[in-house]
Amino acid sequence: MMETRKPLLLSLIDTRGGIFLGLVAAATLLVPVLALMVPANSAFALPPYLVALFGKYVCYALLSIALDLVWGYCGILSLGHGAFFALGGYAMGMYLMRQIGTRGVYAHPELPDFMVFLNMKELPITWWGFQSFPYAMLMVLLIPGLLAFVFGFLAFRSRVTGVYLSIITQAMTYALLLAFFRNDMGFGGNNGLTDFKDILGFNVQAKETRVALFVASTLALGAGYLIARAVTQSKFGKVVIAIRDAESRTRFLGYRVETYKLCVFVLSAMMAGVAGALYVPQVGIINPGEFAPANSIEAVIWVAVGGRGTLVGAALGAIIVNWGKTFFTGALPEYWLFALGALFVIVTLFLPKGVIGALDQFKARRQAAKNSGAAAPTAAE
Amino acid sequence: MTSIPRPARACAIPLAGQAAKRLIETLSFAAAALSLVMLALFATPQARAQGESSVIIGLISDKFPDTERALNELPASGLPTAPQIVEALAANRLYFNGPARKLYFADEAGKMFDAATGEPADVMASALKKVRINNAVRRSLDAARGALTLMSPDPDKRKAAADSVFKSRDATALPLLEAALAKETLASTRKILEEARAAIIAGDSGASDVQRLEAIEILKSRGDQDAVSVLTTIASWSEGRVKAAADSASSVIQAKLALWRNVQNIWYGLSLGSVLLLAAIGLAITFGVMGIINMAHGEMVMLGAYTTFAVQEWARTSHPGLLNYSLFIAIPLAFLVTAAVGILIERVVIRFLYGRPLETLLATFGISLILQQAVRTIFGANNREVSAPSFMAGSFDFGSLQIGYGRMWIIVFALAVFFALQFVLRATSFGLRMRAVTQNRRMASSMGIDTNRIDALAFGLGSGIAGMAGVALSQIDNVSPNLGQSYIIDSFMVVVFGGVGNLWGTLLGALTLGVANKFLEPIAGAVLGKILLLVFIILFIQKRPRGLFALKGRAVEA
Amino acid sequence: MPNRPHLWNWPTNPISTLWHACCTPLGTSLADGLQHTGPVLPVQPGNILEDAMSLTRRFMLRTAGAALGGALAFASPAAFAQGAGTIKVGILHSLSGTMAISETTLKDVMLMLIEEQNKKGGLLGKKLEPVVVDPASNWPLFAEKARELISKDKVSATFGCWTSVSRKSVLPVFEELNSILFYPVQYEGEESSKNIFYTGAAPNQQAIPAVDYLMENEKVQRWVLAGTDYVYPRTTNKILEAYLKSKGVKPEDIMINYTPFGHSDWQTIVADIKKFGSAGKKTAVVSTINGDANVPFYKELGNAGVKATDIPVVAFSVGEEELAGIDTKPLIGHLAAWNYFQSVENADNKAFIAKWRAFTKNEKRVTNDPMEAHVIGFNMWVKAVEKAGTTDTDAVLDAMIGVAVPNLTGGYSTMMPNHHITKPVLIGEVQGDGQFNTVWQTSGLVVGDEWSDYLEGSKDLISDWRKPLSCGNFNVKTGKCGGASK
Repeated sequence: MMETRKPLLLSLIDTRGGIFLGLVAAATLLVPVLALMVPANSAFALPPYLVALFGKYVCYALLSIALDLVWGYCGILSLGHGAFFALGGYAMGMYLMRQIGTRGVYAHPELPDFMVFLNMKELPITWWGFQSFPYAMLMVLLIPGLLAFVFGFLAFRSRVTGVYLSIITQAMTYALLLAFFRNDMGFGGNNGLTDFKDILGFNVQAKETRVALFVASTLALGAGYLIARAVTQSKFGKVVIAIRDAESRTRFLGYRVETYKLCVFVLSAMMAGVAGALYVPQVGIINPGEFAPANSIEAVIWVAVGGRGTLVGAALGAIIVNWGKTFFTGALPEYWLFALGALFVIVTLFLPKGVIGALDQFKARRQAAKNSGAAAPTAAE
Repeated sequence: MTSIPRPARACAIPLAGQAAKRLIETLSFAAAALSLVMLALFATPQARAQGESSVIIGLISDKFPDTERALNELPASGLPTAPQIVEALAANRLYFNGPARKLYFADEAGKMFDAATGEPADVMASALKKVRINNAVRRSLDAARGALTLMSPDPDKRKAAADSVFKSRDATALPLLEAALAKETLASTRKILEEARAAIIAGDSGASDVQRLEAIEILKSRGDQDAVSVLTTIASWSEGRVKAAADSASSVIQAKLALWRNVQNIWYGLSLGSVLLLAAIGLAITFGVMGIINMAHGEMVMLGAYTTFAVQEWARTSHPGLLNYSLFIAIPLAFLVTAAVGILIERVVIRFLYGRPLETLLATFGISLILQQAVRTIFGANNREVSAPSFMAGSFDFGSLQIGYGRMWIIVFALAVFFALQFVLRATSFGLRMRAVTQNRRMASSMGIDTNRIDALAFGLGSGIAGMAGVALSQIDNVSPNLGQSYIIDSFMVVVFGGVGNLWGTLLGALTLGVANKFLEPIAGAVLGKILLLVFIILFIQKRPRGLFALKGRAVEA
Repeated sequence: MPNRPHLWNWPTNPISTLWHACCTPLGTSLADGLQHTGPVLPVQPGNILEDAMSLTRRFMLRTAGAALGGALAFASPAAFAQGAGTIKVGILHSLSGTMAISETTLKDVMLMLIEEQNKKGGLLGKKLEPVVVDPASNWPLFAEKARELISKDKVSATFGCWTSVSRKSVLPVFEELNSILFYPVQYEGEESSKNIFYTGAAPNQQAIPAVDYLMENEKVQRWVLAGTDYVYPRTTNKILEAYLKSKGVKPEDIMINYTPFGHSDWQTIVADIKKFGSAGKKTAVVSTINGDANVPFYKELGNAGVKATDIPVVAFSVGEEELAGIDTKPLIGHLAAWNYFQSVENADNKAFIAKWRAFTKNEKRVTNDPMEAHVIGFNMWVKAVEKAGTTDTDAVLDAMIGVAVPNLTGGYSTMMPNHHITKPVLIGEVQGDGQFNTVWQTSGLVVGDEWSDYLEGSKDLISDWRKPLSCGNFNVKTGKCGGASK
């Protein structure tokens, strides 16, 4: 991956990005080694459950970057990004369900268990083609992309902005939540899709598959970061940032604000879809609960915790919050919500620019202290 | 059969009927009177002795069918203690001693009596077994109670008795019914008694067709769901004219009821709308006016509901007399408690975040998690019981529409809160200051307004209103730590749909969404109805990107 | 078929049950136990007879299969001298989020049971150590926490889950890592995993007897099947619909209604029910409404004046805990079908309630059916571990089948080869104090039927986890073990 650095690519990577990509690359290389090659009783061995857990964090990090792209750089606060994530997940889940074949409990050659269970006679149209991996992967990109396109086209054209936009994105994911809960929709209702067997012919529960999925997730994260970075560093990206800061002025300067917003929104939705698709085989279930508005709000919080508009911060925020959740739900099962709630409050109050922002500030202050000597102290900002 | 005779017959009935009607009326009255006299004069002594023993044996056998049979015999048995037995059974105060074959009842104070004689008895309730009841027994109980209280001096009891006789359609109650009818002076009760008699006669295959047709007319004029129920039962096993009449009567009523169903939808919609309004109105202040994306709003509602619970618990344990009025204590208290919590939140967290609305989302989301878990730790994760005061229980009829007092008072309360809030904002100096601060903070500040104080009070006001909403919602929903979560999304939808910053918009938005939901629900089902409504909101916002009532002017862009 | 075994009359003598189930070669034991049983139940709960017949077929097959396999793990508790340390028990119940309402109580019950067992000297000479985690009503988190419990904490068994989706979410994890889960809630059936023991009711242990009761005792002819739109109500209603039709109920006399989770405005639906109920035939509502939605539903019923004497509602998800949040006076006479009620009078139950109240330091705490299921499951696990002499998963899995422990309703519950247990079915009416008054109960025990005979896809399937069949979804028609659960 690193060998393919070209001047263009190099220009995208600043110090922070370099460190980030370095860490991602290190994880990509180290995890397989620790999980597969180190003997299981060694202190360095990585138990498979941690591989799945890390894989989950990486998927969340990708979702977080996708959200940062629209929120941090384009000013669109989407409270419905969980919907794109879940749709990608469902597309992957449908592929995995079709791979079960006759190994379902009812051993039906074509229909997944829940359809037999609901007396469906034939595969609904929505499920056609999902036995093919390339088709499913296309859908992972296409379905969230299409939804984002239609939604964004309508919303941006009518100049719905600010909280109104946030609330209708929430309405969108809430409507999808209710729709997917309906068993008549043919997506497994509340139980969702689960008990997967194979992906591309490999057993999803095998250690090697888990590691491969982890590697795929880190690669996707790296790629997602680079794409987001490329977009934000390009001329296109400058216009996008201009829209964030002064939408009307940008419009008056002659830019088609709607088109820019729509492009970023669709791209971000597709990235979220990919994250969802990688998430599902690793956690083993996709259920309408992923559409819950609270999930989308949580994703926004990851971005805020890490630092909005920094990409790296978004990824970092996702990992910090989720690691905290994992840790506290085990260590303080009765009180973890206090800890999590307090974390959110403290971050907003004391780290308004997120963890990355705080680091920058800290660095700037040290720099200032070093430089100033007897001179007047510079502003912290 | 050809179609020719039918119109002829249809014409003939009323003509022939007129003459027969009088005769039958007189005859039936005479027969009823006679049977009552007979009952009183001859049949009693022996029947009493027999009835007594068989009733008591039935009640102490501790088998539901026996209990049921005993209850059916009870009104006619002439047992002097029959009313007490029935009341005691209904209140779970009827005891028996199986081996001794003795039946006892306790009065409300717990004093024991021998059920056969009505004499005080020296037994302990704990040494006896209770006569158990199930639904079938309960039905017989209602019927027996009805028959026994038809002549009660209390007009309400008579009315209830007439109602239960109407429902049970117990033919054996007919003589009592006739007797009651002869004495009844109250027109409304008389009407029910007549309907009850009609229900019995219409269903009596022994009665003449003319009598039954007449009875069907009476039922038709009653014109409600219960009448349909009686009529369809009769139609299901009758034939000929009676069946035709019953069928047509029930279809006439059905058609009328179908029209009323629209009225009912509007009413239900208003009721749902008032709930949405209550949930959203506090948010209309904190979010709509102050611009704080207040995710902890739902938790304020929850705190209000828990305040109600706490007040009721306090009343239950120390002041049982106040339990029925606990809501009147809970409403101001909930306002104060949640307003205090709101002010605390504002002072500690939110005041550092003005002008950064999206960060208020983050912080208030954290606060909402903390509040939920705090309540869970203090009160436990289970639902808590909040009882309904007597003035909120029950319902009354408006045409064919049944209006529950609970729902009605919630609508009244929601509107009262709304207008009180309007008053506070429009007609008090605090309201003026608050509007000034939210419109132009700097200007207000330079006019000498203490903006910090106003901010805190405004947030407290919004939270306090949410707390009062919680009192009302505790009457219809779970009182659990999750209560708030189930209203937060709907509340945001209402405020945004109505137009941020406009209270009238919130009112109209809530009622519109409520009514629309209730019209969609019968057509599309509850789930799809809600989805359609959400899609509608999304599309509506495209059409009017600033809600129903958009604020105009430069403030919008800020 | 020499003698038609009546499965609901499970022997209530524990010693004979144990002897038959454990200490004789298995093929004969269960069938023998069945044939020795007491009085034959009248045809009262109609379908159970049919169940029994279909189960007979299954049993014969099991007998054939098991004859090869020979004895069940024989007890030799003294064989292992275990070292010091503790035995860890996982508790996987949501303590936050929407399901905390129901699941927190179960966590407390488990803590109480473990504490009690430790007072008795622990298990195999070691103390039990509870490991509590919070899956926060989040289904992927359930899988993650299950993995953590098994891989990191190395628990010997886990007690947990409430919703079906949480169970579905952790099922692959328990199968993959070969660990044991006890699932205490009534559910829709259609599942039998090697690693899961289902101590709650299957549909035939709850829904069908309830419908029978209403048909026989209340002469109900018209049915409203109202449920929350998810798999348990869908399946239960499907089974009930097929069952009612088989009893001659016409399609127009059945109304099916689904509502979303947490539905709170029931005005329209209650009005519809009232309307449906005024067609001149006795009408009842069979409610599979879940969780939070029940409280507003019952409140609305009370407000609309729907009395149990007019239209009774029988619920499968409403127990004492749910009623504790409602003023039950307007609801007197509405019904629930469970395998346990707090009001059941016997010494064991009285002692349990007293212990529970002492443990929670709350004189008003109520008990409910899933709690009893955990009590049964925990005692079964303890017994099986003692029998196996080890907490090793495979040994315990083998030892579990046939274990019988007292339940709290005065009888014994036995773990069947399909990993479901035998239970009595009780119908209770709501009383003014939030308790249930048992108005009917099966005279014996009913065996949980995992694959419903009323569903197209599953009527030919059986489950038998004894060797050599060891299959959760054996198709008696094709004679093959279906794919997934091995």
